[in-house]
Amino acid sequence: MKSGLGIRLDDPSQGDFLARSPLRLGLLLSVLALAVPVVSRAATDFAQDILPILEARCQACHPASGGQANLALVSRESILVGGKSGPAINPGNPDSSLLMSKVSGSKPLMPPVGDPLSADQVDLLRAWIAEGAPGNGDQTSLDRTWWSFRPLVQPPVPESGDARAVNEIDRFVAARLAEHGLKPSPAADRSTLIRRLTFDLHGLPPEPDAIKAFLNDPRPDAYARLVDHLLASPRYGERWGRHWLDVAHYGESHGYDKDKARRNSWPYRDYVIRSFNDDKPYPRFIREQLAGDILWPSAAEGLIATGFIAAGPWDYVGHAELREGTKDKRLARLLDRDDMVAATMSTFNSLTVHCARCHDHKFDPIRQADYYALQAVFAGVDRAEQPYFDDPELHGRTRKLWFEMGAVEQDLLVYASKIEQAKSDEIEEIDRRKYVLGEESADLLPKVGEVDTPETIARREEISKEIKGLDEERQQLALELLDPADRDRYESLSDRLDGLRSEFEELPEPRFVYSAARYFETHGRFTPAWTPRPVHVLAKGSIEAPGDPASPGAVGAVPGLAARFDLDAPADEGAARVALAEWLAHPSNPLTWRSIVNRVWHYHFGRGIVDSPNDFGRMGSEPTHPGLLDWLAADFRDSGCSLKSLHRKILLSATYRQTSAPDPQRAKIDASNRFLWRMNRTRLDAEAVRDAVLAVAAQLDLTMGGPSAEHFRFKDDHSPIYDYARFDVTSPAARRRSVYRFLVRSVQDPFMESLDCADPSLLVPKRSSTLTAIQALALLNDPLMVEQSRRFAARLQETAESVEDQIDRAIWLALGRPANAEERQAVAEHAERHGLENAARLLLNSNEFIFVD
Amino acid sequence: MANRIAVQPTNRRRFLEQWGGGLGSIALMHMLGRESEAARPDLGGGLHHRAKAKRVVQLFMSGAASQCDMYDYKPLLVQRNGEKFDPGGKVELFQSDPGPVMKSPWDWRQHGESGKWMSGLVPHLAECVDEMAFFPSMISKSNVHGPATFMQNTGFVLPGFPSMGAWISYGLGTLTDDLPSFVVLPDSRGFAPNGPSNHSAGFLPAQHQGTMIRAGRENPIHDLFPPSNADFISPESEAAGLELLESLNRRHMVGREGDTRLEARIQSYEMAARLQVTAPQVMDLSGESAATKKLYGLDDPITEDFGLRCLVARRLLERGVRFVQVWSGADNGFPRRNWDSHEDLKKDHGLMGKSMDKPSAALIHDLRERGLLEDTVVYWTTEFGRMPCSQGNKGRDHNPFTFTSWLAGGGIQGGTVYGASDEWSYKAADKPIYCYDLHATVLHLLGIDHTRLTYRHNGIDRRLTDVHGHVIEDVLA
Repeated sequence: MKSGLGIRLDDPSQGDFLARSPLRLGLLLSVLALAVPVVSRAATDFAQDILPILEARCQACHPASGGQANLALVSRESILVGGKSGPAINPGNPDSSLLMSKVSGSKPLMPPVGDPLSADQVDLLRAWIAEGAPGNGDQTSLDRTWWSFRPLVQPPVPESGDARAVNEIDRFVAARLAEHGLKPSPAADRSTLIRRLTFDLHGLPPEPDAIKAFLNDPRPDAYARLVDHLLASPRYGERWGRHWLDVAHYGESHGYDKDKARRNSWPYRDYVIRSFNDDKPYPRFIREQLAGDILWPSAAEGLIATGFIAAGPWDYVGHAELREGTKDKRLARLLDRDDMVAATMSTFNSLTVHCARCHDHKFDPIRQADYYALQAVFAGVDRAEQPYFDDPELHGRTRKLWFEMGAVEQDLLVYASKIEQAKSDEIEEIDRRKYVLGEESADLLPKVGEVDTPETIARREEISKEIKGLDEERQQLALELLDPADRDRYESLSDRLDGLRSEFEELPEPRFVYSAARYFETHGRFTPAWTPRPVHVLAKGSIEAPGDPASPGAVGAVPGLAARFDLDAPADEGAARVALAEWLAHPSNPLTWRSIVNRVWHYHFGRGIVDSPNDFGRMGSEPTHPGLLDWLAADFRDSGCSLKSLHRKILLSATYRQTSAPDPQRAKIDASNRFLWRMNRTRLDAEAVRDAVLAVAAQLDLTMGGPSAEHFRFKDDHSPIYDYARFDVTSPAARRRSVYRFLVRSVQDPFMESLDCADPSLLVPKRSSTLTAIQALALLNDPLMVEQSRRFAARLQETAESVEDQIDRAIWLALGRPANAEERQAVAEHAERHGLENAARLLLNSNEFIFVD
Repeated sequence: MANRIAVQPTNRRRFLEQWGGGLGSIALMHMLGRESEAARPDLGGGLHHRAKAKRVVQLFMSGAASQCDMYDYKPLLVQRNGEKFDPGGKVELFQSDPGPVMKSPWDWRQHGESGKWMSGLVPHLAECVDEMAFFPSMISKSNVHGPATFMQNTGFVLPGFPSMGAWISYGLGTLTDDLPSFVVLPDSRGFAPNGPSNHSAGFLPAQHQGTMIRAGRENPIHDLFPPSNADFISPESEAAGLELLESLNRRHMVGREGDTRLEARIQSYEMAARLQVTAPQVMDLSGESAATKKLYGLDDPITEDFGLRCLVARRLLERGVRFVQVWSGADNGFPRRNWDSHEDLKKDHGLMGKSMDKPSAALIHDLRERGLLEDTVVYWTTEFGRMPCSQGNKGRDHNPFTFTSWLAGGGIQGGTVYGASDEWSYKAADKPIYCYDLHATVLHLLGIDHTRLTYRHNGIDRRLTDVHGHVIEDVLA
């Protein structure tokens, strides 16, 4: 073993050693402690003195891949090789070194952003060059890198003495258990396994017939067949698509004040479900959601996928009502882009880049400049409805027409503003009359405690018509005032726009999806950006302190990838999104693969290998099984990026098949089961509870897709009202799977909320799992539970004669096992005395129904 | 029937450790709220230092209540009434161009020993000025109702963050096992902008979210009782059912020892049953005297609605609820149903003010009479203020640059004013502050250091006060 910092990280076994070695940690700490250079020391050390400066101030623009001036400032070697202008240093001679001429002097050129290097830092660089630039040529920043940023290399699988090991997962887990003097638990029995698998893959309880078939299946690969059978069912996409929607913070209303419904968000939800069911290769899934509209312009699927970008909340008042140029409007847009950036980087890379909005990230190698480079990627898109057709030819044609309309509208802007600014006595008179009418109309609005009367409503409508007439009149007058060339140009553009609009009208009725949108119909004061809005690095994140302009890019600290995108046309927002998609989907981006593999693991086991699935930084958790995580991530990346293959690998492992039964001895060593000596027992999530209740009562409607089921009474208004208390639980909408319910941001469904459903305003990488009195009341008394208890009882009555048989059947359906004599008697007695409905309701409230072993 | 197992505090702690995942010691303290109080009697229920107050009632004026028509007296507005509004610099308004200066339609008078100026819109609150600390230099970071209402509730202009009540519930836990620790009493006309997400637990565990109690409804808490058409459920079936449920659940625990969630879930049904008893008791006002009802204005249709909620708030506080939030005003639609008086201030603020004034003052009096005011903080706020100039002659547009909040009760030095707005009541001038500072001060009174009440979410140790906030020592008793 070579010592300390000289270890090459392309040797995976050593990489793994480094990740865990306390020695390594000690070194890291001492390096960090020395990040503030001590100039009195006799000789400089490249790794301890120079690299920290390069990392902090240079590598955002000069990463390993080159970047600005094709210069990489990551290792001694790369500095000697230099970039476009030749070697960056001349060892032994600081004064003739390019690097020194850039960073020193009264007005140093470099770094271009932020303060110049400190005098101490400049002195250190000078001393190091003067000493002949000592250091090992291989030393790079990577040696000092946080685990998640290290290149992803597949480590070897540990040898295992565990005879039960089925696949690589088990060998990694066994090795980790052995380190702690632990052993895995035996396999769970078949009825436990089928219940576990069916809830895990479908979010539903297994049917009694399926359980019996599995219990009696003599084939040695019965379990593997069951896994394949479940993965092939469309119920799988509904279950796992819902996980993705948590992460993407998918909601169907804007949130904030005036929480308008988004009636056309659902195509994205269906896209997600379809993608899981089709086992879409993960890189394609990434590309589609960030830039599908650009990469596949003739595919509706590509556009619909960008519903990801539009999934989060949106401040209607801030965008559609505030006037252009106001501080609050700029703030609304800043926060809108912030949401897109945070969602993208949390989802695909498990990075908390949004922590770098006000300053460089305090814990992770994410610069404030990186954050605003990411904001610049989204500077040309908004969230709005876009037309689409399933037919590719028609869709492609429509998109072309749509953007032509946008281009003409953009050309018209300059004339529109001239028209607005035109002044004459007549125009001023019209403006005055409009003002008076506006006042009168405002005056007619009902006050506190008043009701709107038909008379005032009629008068307000009259006024609005009058104002419209005055607008037309004003337009004519203003046109006459324009200079003739402008007027001609205006009129020809208007005609062209009218022509394009009627062409659009003549198309068959398109469908609409709420997605990323570069062009859309102006709504109030919500208008397209036309060209990407300028993004600046904001001092302390304040819109009143804009600094340098930002250009599209991503995180410089990710090895092997350029920090800033080299775009042919900087104003092409689509190209910027494509570049980000490629950056994320790149095989060299180690975060992407670790992130997705960890998410999948998290949902199977109830806890990720990294327990903070959205944060792979220093504030997050570290992997409990770093070798396993990297092995799975590399395997996933290098063998087709198939999620179903990954599921299969995990589900077939002996680790997954373990019993969840307690063991006091093992618990003494690892009470929280971090090292997986048994399976974790999980509480069903909100969707699984609701769907299981419906399934058990034979009421579940398995129709897939389409507009969402509204479990409230809707009343449109300034702020629409979503009244869950007035929903009819016997209506067909109540029977749809929970993934298809309409997701309101301002008011969540109280039943689902009590069971910790995801708040669509939040990025939810993992659900909480609380047990509260309010939850108990919901499961006992919610109209849905009461209704389904009735239906469940009716189902039992149809299929069995005696109460005992009915209870037997009920326990098979709800708990997936035969009843034992004692409980059969107790529950039957309760049914005889208080009705079968009450007995049914009881079972749906039992711990055994709510937990999965 | 299986024996009921008495759950030891240590068991509860262990179960929290197991299912609470990354939750820290504060979360443990939460569930063990009363035990922690017993454990650190020197802190008087506080988390980091000795608490001066145990509970909070927040009165939230939705739609932006006007500071310069209630608390922030400016003679200049009287002098310059009707003249062009020219405070120097560009005036950027939310939806209009600035109209002329508009004096308040209400007259001003000094009150109490402190001599605080109050308008004729709030004659009852005027009698309480010596109990109150005023903050006339509040600033909002947003001029838009939604983000600004989030900010006053959660400290952030974005959705998804925990409300102040949720943070306090998380930090201090509960004083009673029979009621939720954070209760919200929404305006009967509807929700404020942002809806119930104003009082959500955000990323904190769900038990900290504001539980809505709808005064005057058959089912005051959602799902408290079965729906009226649930004819198969009777008190007898319910009692027998819960007993059988517990025995099934205990049987299920055999072979699953050590998983304290299973025990916790059994307990959650016991707590639910207690809530079914206590919630209706809280709502039952038959034991309240006629004088008390009159004090809160239950005899007048204008004050009845808010008065009922203020009275219920007092009853909740008495029974150990930590944080009660009472809303005055709904959303910003028409007919006007909140404080957003763009069109006709005299009329709209006139009614909102009248409906709020008497019940709010009654709450202060009543809490004092019952000895509760000394350890209850009363916190009156709104999302931002209104302009000293007119909008369309009779209304006022939004003013994020200055507005007034006030505190009264436990640990507060009454009869004080901290900071000041400029001569127009247009911008905060002396000691400008944000909700962060008020939040920090209220937490301080409860024995919480606002910089140390944190919860890690997606990479950040989040706080109610973000990275801001200073305790306003000047108003502490």
